[in-house]
Amino acid sequence: MDTFEISNNVMIYYLPKELDHFSADRIKRKTESVFEKNDVKYLIFDFDKTTFMDSSGIGLITGRYRKVHDEGGSVYVINVCPVIDKVLTMSGIYRIVSKKNTKEEIIEELLKGGYYE
Amino acid sequence: MSNTNEMMVEFSGIAQNESFARMVVAAFITRTNPTLEEVSDIKTAVSEAVTNSIIHGYEETRGKISIKAKIEGRTVFIEVKDDGKGISDIKKAMEPMYTSKPEEDRSGMGFSFMEAFMDKLVVESEDGKGTIVRMWKEIGVSKHQYE
Repeated sequence: MDTFEISNNVMIYYLPKELDHFSADRIKRKTESVFEKNDVKYLIFDFDKTTFMDSSGIGLITGRYRKVHDEGGSVYVINVCPVIDKVLTMSGIYRIVSKKNTKEEIIEELLKGGYYE
Repeated sequence: MSNTNEMMVEFSGIAQNESFARMVVAAFITRTNPTLEEVSDIKTAVSEAVTNSIIHGYEETRGKISIKAKIEGRTVFIEVKDDGKGISDIKKAMEPMYTSKPEEDRSGMGFSFMEAFMDKLVVESEDGKGTIVRMWKEIGVSKHQYE
């Protein structure tokens, strides 16, 4: 099953092997219930295990983007392999979501911006 | 000896079967010796068509979906068919970013992805008469179609 971590308004979600309509619905429900109880400003989707994705994944990311963007936050994707990168690029989602190599890179950027302690 | 191969599979239109559908087609096309990228492209296109049938065609009422696939030389042909509610305005449904279910976080990119990841896409549908999606892709012609 999928796992996630939250600390200091940063949520990192470890995505499953395949991100389709079936798993996207589950992740949507999970993040929604987490968002109800926690303030999440920065959401990181970790694609390390993910080798398949379709447009349901795009719908999932844009839906979560709307939530955190309303709070002045951002969405990041990390550990993206070429196959997933092709899908993300084609969808045009990189206009609203930043791709980074590691979560440390994101934390460093947030620290520099003074958003994160 | 003929260079043609065909298969057909029918399954319940439930979300768990989306990965089954992709795997079946991926396994079937193995003998064309596709690249990882080509396999991934075809899996994504199949996933989009099957997901459309489940969510839109049957609105999650678990009707049957059938997939026919054919290999002819280097061309892979895939047909995804449902007997769901059909599409009244195909042109509108195929517009990028258009979705009839925005409240469910659907991206509206299903048909755009099928078009982008395959060489050719033909959609046949009528209100109340189900939907047939036909897609073709030639294997072994490296072609990058970003954007």
